[in-house]
Amino acid sequence: MSLPRSSAIPRSALTTMAASRRSVLRGLALSGLAVGGASALAACGGDSGGPATGEGATVKFGINEASGSGPAYDRLKAIADAYAEESGTEVALNAVDHNTFQESINTYLQGTPDDVFTWFAGFRMAQFAENGLITDLSDQWPIDGLNDSFKQAATAPDGKQYFVPISYYPWAVFYRKSVFEKNGWAPPETNDDFMALMDDMQGKGVTPFAFGDKDGWPAMGTFDILNMRLNGFDFHMSLMAGEEAWDGDEVKLVFDTWRKLLPYHQADPLGRTWQEAATAMGKGECGMYLLGTFVVDALGENGDDLDFFTFPELDPAIGSDALDAPIDGFCVAAAGQNQDAGKAMAKWLGSAAAADAGNSAADAPFIAANSGASTSTYSDLQKKSAEVVGAAANIAQFMDRDTNADFANTVMIPSIQEFLKNPDDIDGVTASIQEQADSIFG
Amino acid sequence: MSTQALPASTGPTPPDEAVRATPPKRVEGGVMSKPRGVVVTVIVALLALAWLFPLLWALVNSFREYEYTQANGYLSFGGWTTSNYEEAWSRGNFGLHMKNSLLITVPAVLLTLWLSSMVAFVLARFSFRFNLTMLGVFLAANLLPPQALLIPVFRMFREIPLPLFMSDSGSMLNSFWALILVNTAFQMGFCTFVLSNYMKTLPYEIYESAELDGASVWRQYWQLTMPLVRPALAALATLQVTWIYNEFFWATVLIQQGNKLPVTSALNNLRGQFFTDTNLVAAGSIIVALPVLVVFFALQKQFVSGLTLGSTKG
Repeated sequence: MSLPRSSAIPRSALTTMAASRRSVLRGLALSGLAVGGASALAACGGDSGGPATGEGATVKFGINEASGSGPAYDRLKAIADAYAEESGTEVALNAVDHNTFQESINTYLQGTPDDVFTWFAGFRMAQFAENGLITDLSDQWPIDGLNDSFKQAATAPDGKQYFVPISYYPWAVFYRKSVFEKNGWAPPETNDDFMALMDDMQGKGVTPFAFGDKDGWPAMGTFDILNMRLNGFDFHMSLMAGEEAWDGDEVKLVFDTWRKLLPYHQADPLGRTWQEAATAMGKGECGMYLLGTFVVDALGENGDDLDFFTFPELDPAIGSDALDAPIDGFCVAAAGQNQDAGKAMAKWLGSAAAADAGNSAADAPFIAANSGASTSTYSDLQKKSAEVVGAAANIAQFMDRDTNADFANTVMIPSIQEFLKNPDDIDGVTASIQEQADSIFG
Repeated sequence: MSTQALPASTGPTPPDEAVRATPPKRVEGGVMSKPRGVVVTVIVALLALAWLFPLLWALVNSFREYEYTQANGYLSFGGWTTSNYEEAWSRGNFGLHMKNSLLITVPAVLLTLWLSSMVAFVLARFSFRFNLTMLGVFLAANLLPPQALLIPVFRMFREIPLPLFMSDSGSMLNSFWALILVNTAFQMGFCTFVLSNYMKTLPYEIYESAELDGASVWRQYWQLTMPLVRPALAALATLQVTWIYNEFFWATVLIQQGNKLPVTSALNNLRGQFFTDTNLVAAGSIIVALPVLVVFFALQKQFVSGLTLGSTKG
């Protein structure tokens, strides 16, 4: 079904615009603000009057990295500049730090959002699509160099694309090459290898897994991977979507396996941030750490002595071909003032040229989603990441992106922390999650 | 009853009797026996340390390298540097955000004091039917949690158009006007309450003679009352600068443009997506806290005297 273009604007925004016009007129009558009123009217109407793209047009670009905050900002800034140069459209950059941007995304999208903004693939994107807060980009797809799995990640439940990916990073088990070499350890292939490796580490006085969950979200990665290994990718995704029972045997099996693995983890994880846990792995006190590639940031080094392997299989029937690899990219805000420019820019942002512009401008590159992008600036870790993710059959986005944000933050964070505090009460924890899931997913 | 409430409360009371009744040997404030004094000193010192500890801890670690503290733990000694401050200033873009805070705080404080002093003057100086009710309303509004008003205020501001030369977003959202108005509105209740109580302590006779000399109501407000309540204004100005400068909630809700955030919200710029250099954040926090400390210590005298002045009289 094809809807007229204007229906991409949410009804609430339409009434806002109508109301604004009325109140402007009322304001004009009352105060005689004739000069400014006309331009405010134009601004509220969402029609800037000039061309949508090219010379003389402006596209507003909201990014979730504060100005000067490091490589991530440098990349986005370079991408914006490259687009301005290539298309002639002026790009007005709005840089807000990552956490503030994410926490105020709802007021942002319902207020006066930029035309294009940085966002994540997965459920969090789909939620905004369902609420009509982001614009349908299906007329911009397919985009050269972005394969089907990325297209899938950009698709909302209504079958249309609302997102353009640019980069991703995998979650995997990281270790120090030198430590593994010294002890004669090797990345495990099977579950038996894995258990033997952990026992050997413990025998040598090394804690197998570094672990910290003070901030609440890092342990979600452990849950995700255990669930995908024990119950499979499809079950994981429907569980995240609220379509499976949280108090069923499958989830209990995940927590029970986790309980058995906990003695191989650092004790008292709730008092430790992931940065402290990463330091313990870096110093060789712990052998491995299940985390995203950003683990390098906490070690204050370039990661040359780091390597990783994907979490080994736990159930031979399911294998180990799924992993968490959150995808970052862009959406077009439905309440943005220049829809055409936003769409055009979004399409360009998915191109190999955009990724290359970003990567050649920053100290640390990201792993580009576009298969045509140059990999010459990649570190060894990134080259391997691209390989591993490319070989994976299924890619999840990480729990807090794959499920309702309220559920992830207000239910799963405290529940997992409760489990880590008291690993023996699995029935209590799963029952409580299910009860809360019922009220959130309805 | 309310018509005569004011003159009655400003009427003569016999405070002198209570003073005369106290035994002459007691010094002002009273003294304590020696052992008791020692115990009290120790307890107070411990409490003060407990209060200061987190602040001093942040101060100390803001001068240390992250790599050093991460490798050796925070209980170690060494890794001294001042680079955290330089980096915090440049990475947090504090110059710009300090300016934003200034542009929000100064007008908001002036507007709050001006409006609330006018309200307080009328409430304290004139008796009319809804005099006390009005004061009650101002006080009640002060008790309303701002969070409860988040959505209505957000929606209201979204609907209010501003000409583009006042706000480049075309609405109240993303403009300093929004923050100035919101802060003024939320602080007025408290200021009105304090100022009206203070003004009630001014002798009624001054106004009678002013009236006899032919001073208009405006003149009684501007030239008579305002100079007399200067201590209270100074105390409130100190408090208001601190509160409005420290305000975080409304800024993050109403401002979505990174270059318009006040400095408190900009502190988040020092946090990465995943990685947070805590020593750097400590340095940034100290920088952000400095202006408040300066204002507070510079105006401390007024602050203390202003708070107690008028407290012995309802």
